[in-house]
Amino acid sequence: MRPRFKALLLACAALAGGMSLAHAQEGYGKFDGYTLKVKLIGGTQYEKLYTRIPEWEKLTGAKVDIVSSKNHFDLDREIKQDIASGSISWCVGSNHTSFAPQYGDLYVDLKPLIPAETLADYVPATLKASEVDGRLVQLPRVTDVSNLYYNKDVYENPDIKAKYKAKFGTDLAPPKTYDEYKQQVIFLANPPNLYGTAFPGKDEGMTGRFMELVRANGGDMFDDKWNPTFNSPAGVAALQWFVDIYKAGAVPAGTVNYTWDDIGQAMAAGTLAIDLDWPGFAAFFNDQASSKIAGKVGFALAPVGSSGKRGGWSGSHSFSVTQACDNKKAAVSFITFMTNYDSEMMEARAGNLPTRTKVFADVEKEFRDKGNTYMAEMFGTWEKSLETARTPPLIPQWIEVSNVLWPQLQAAIVGQKTPKEALDKAASDAHDIMEDAGLLK
Amino acid sequence: MLRSPRAIPYLLLLPSIVVIAAVVLVPVLVSLWSSFTPYNLTRPATLFTFVGWRNYQRLFANADFWWAFGRTLVFVTVALNLELVFGLALALLVNRVTTGRKTIRTIMMFPMMFSPILVGFQFKYVFNDSVGILNNALFSLGLITRPIPWLVNGALANFSILAAEIWMSTSIFAILLLSGLLALPQDPIEAAKVDGCNPVQVFRHITLPFLMPFIYIAMTIRSLDVARAYDMVRIMTNGGPAGRTELLWTLIARVGYQNSQMGMANAMGYVSILTSIAFTFYFYRKLSLSRRYMGGAE
Amino acid sequence: MSARMIEQPWQRWAIRFALFVALAILCIPGLWVVLTAFRPNVEIMARPPVWIPQHPTLDNFRRIFGLLPAEQQGLPVADYFRNSLVISVTSTIIAILVGMMGGYAFARFRFRGKKAMFLGFMLSRTVPGIALSLPLFIVWSRLGLIDTKIGMIVIYLAINIPFTIWLTDGFFRQIPVDLSDAAQIDGCTRWQAFWKIEFPLARSGLASAAIFAFLTSWNEYALAAQITRTTNAKTMPVGLMDFTAQFTVDWAGMSAMAVLIIIPALILTFIVQKHLIAGLTFGGVKG
Repeated sequence: MRPRFKALLLACAALAGGMSLAHAQEGYGKFDGYTLKVKLIGGTQYEKLYTRIPEWEKLTGAKVDIVSSKNHFDLDREIKQDIASGSISWCVGSNHTSFAPQYGDLYVDLKPLIPAETLADYVPATLKASEVDGRLVQLPRVTDVSNLYYNKDVYENPDIKAKYKAKFGTDLAPPKTYDEYKQQVIFLANPPNLYGTAFPGKDEGMTGRFMELVRANGGDMFDDKWNPTFNSPAGVAALQWFVDIYKAGAVPAGTVNYTWDDIGQAMAAGTLAIDLDWPGFAAFFNDQASSKIAGKVGFALAPVGSSGKRGGWSGSHSFSVTQACDNKKAAVSFITFMTNYDSEMMEARAGNLPTRTKVFADVEKEFRDKGNTYMAEMFGTWEKSLETARTPPLIPQWIEVSNVLWPQLQAAIVGQKTPKEALDKAASDAHDIMEDAGLLK
Repeated sequence: MLRSPRAIPYLLLLPSIVVIAAVVLVPVLVSLWSSFTPYNLTRPATLFTFVGWRNYQRLFANADFWWAFGRTLVFVTVALNLELVFGLALALLVNRVTTGRKTIRTIMMFPMMFSPILVGFQFKYVFNDSVGILNNALFSLGLITRPIPWLVNGALANFSILAAEIWMSTSIFAILLLSGLLALPQDPIEAAKVDGCNPVQVFRHITLPFLMPFIYIAMTIRSLDVARAYDMVRIMTNGGPAGRTELLWTLIARVGYQNSQMGMANAMGYVSILTSIAFTFYFYRKLSLSRRYMGGAE
Repeated sequence: MSARMIEQPWQRWAIRFALFVALAILCIPGLWVVLTAFRPNVEIMARPPVWIPQHPTLDNFRRIFGLLPAEQQGLPVADYFRNSLVISVTSTIIAILVGMMGGYAFARFRFRGKKAMFLGFMLSRTVPGIALSLPLFIVWSRLGLIDTKIGMIVIYLAINIPFTIWLTDGFFRQIPVDLSDAAQIDGCTRWQAFWKIEFPLARSGLASAAIFAFLTSWNEYALAAQITRTTNAKTMPVGLMDFTAQFTVDWAGMSAMAVLIIIPALILTFIVQKHLIAGLTFGGVKG
């Protein structure tokens, strides 16, 4: 059966190359009477895409049964419970590059199941980051990487600009380096109504922001023998950056307890001057109904560190197919459909970064044609930063390492430890984890 | 009584036993076994590797664990005692009012309507340093010029989760103690007044001793379900920042589910179970003693 | 009763004032949630703060029911509500029946292992939910009870039975054995004697056990979040988490949902609070 299916997908890919999608539809196969069980990530940002499910059902004759729809962390917990209890009764699961390595052989390698021609349409770096040990365990649907949003009320305020120029001798413009970033947020902060910025101060968010800066400073989390190296001088300097802006009161003191939602809300409420954040917030910040800074948001590339590089932390939301699936063809057809050109255009129109190369150009053009330069600029800015962005180490122990690291980062930020002490402690704990896992070489 | 066949009490208890065995006993035994294995959630086969006391040895050598353990003990002790004091005060006040009783008692129980998870979201918002209503109120009243980082500073963060816990559970004490006050016989009080006792003396020597069994009941009930606070703390601080509000429950959840080390998490769970059994047992003994004192049958 | 004690007017006012302050502290954090449910999102996070809603709106409720045009479908709140109601009510009723049987056994019979068993029931409640959750999940998935209402009902039974046993045990002890014996001499069976004599006397105790059981099941989150997954069984508190996505929390929607959780519990408590207090008075202590 497989060759025929491959042939179909090949045909599909060939046609899709010409973008005559109406004809490509027969490429999704026929699965009359089959019910595909799926676990999908919930939340308004992700659910819009699911309105395309009926279309796939019509094309293939199959039914989709959404057996679970939860936010990411709850979904992760649920999948682990399923593994633990040996009850994998579903075929497709939402996945994420940061979480995927933990699931072992739960999911199939998609490379033999999807023709290379189809895969060639995806952004190569994104696809590469979706592999674990050389196995393509997930098909990416949207990518995340952070860049700067700035509040034009602050950055284009003549009064503030004049004072900034008087003090530093340079014009106030979105920062190009982390040093400049620090200088600006400290200068701009005017609590309690305005802070320079805010950062996620706990969980993987804190670890990720730190990792970005370590990499931008020329360091990394591990060496090639999997020894933790984030307590290197580059790491200490990175942590010092957070300590400095925290101590100076440039961020809300509560930032160590914030996660993405708190920061997004604070930015939307106009209480932050600048915010390093995800693409999904662009539409939210510019929405009159939810944001006070609508119409006053600017974009800039994420700053570079002392090595002159950007440390961009990327990750992709994705779909995976389980080994236990009783109809992998249907499952693969489903996830291919959910990330095809039309699906990706839909994601992109909602403000998410697509995973197909062509969609980037097309959606940017589409926004520009409609006169929505705001969103067009967003895609332009974000696409540029994708080139150098990297995922966290794709190892099952990543979240565990993150969980020994972020409390130590917090300890240094709130002044309980020096950055060096904190990082040494975390590195020693991380070393134990890697040793227990047998990863150390 | 002796006429009845011996089997009857067991038959009457059978449904209760079956349910408790299925929901509590079997899982507790599974988790006891897993605490002696390196059980990793994503590698189910590890459930069958026996490693003896290794998890417990590591645990007892782990300073973070002991901090969380000690903090949990302090948290529970302080919370239960303050809830008792506030609950008693509230019950005494409500007991003095004669008009609008039904409404006042319902208002008194208002926090009991809130799911712990909702209490968590609510107080996370109350104590938020930049948009929280507490700081906003203090600003509006001109009492502060810089926001107070309620959920960050070590002392304040612990105060905040305590405040939320007390808000959530004082009502339970109040309602139990109020029912005690309503049952209070009036004769000894009248007699004491005639003898010239002042209200404080009446409270100390008559009301309080009478209320003791109610206090132990309330303590027993609350020590049984004090772990409800987990949902709330998880939302408010999840143990942070820098582990300053880490309680056993938040630690167990992180180790077990995020790090997938269920074996280790269950070892921690066992320490927690044994501790809460000790707490409950203590209050239960006190309760039995005072029940006897009240003249109940054994 | 105590209110009849001789009081100076200033004392009365002092007490009223103190009570007012105490009740205000109990209410304000909760009322804030209720107020938030009627605000538009911009106002919630506004800086400087907006104290009194400037633009009160029902949109948050309309949104969660999917009644706003031009928006994606609402949440299945009606399903969650139904699940919560079915699960809480059923488990409360069964817990009362089963617990009453247990309480009666403890109050009226002597048998081997009685004390240990009673203590065992109490201690079963001390196991923290977080320690139970995974093993429970594994057992439940073997039994096919994941994401079913029955699965949740059985769990809440186990949570509520011990307290019910305890309360009813106290009640039955208080009812003199002679009453039931007399009825049995008059030709009633033990069964009839129970329903005619003992059950009516224990009613307020059962009412208070019931309200505690209902509130516990209605508000429980940790275990429901583990066991339920879809609209088959998801309850209201679990539904609250639908308002949190990876990057955002919808406070307005969440508050609106919170109001929907609180109101039924509040109404029920208001109705039965008289029995509640009477039941607690005699249940636990004497006995």
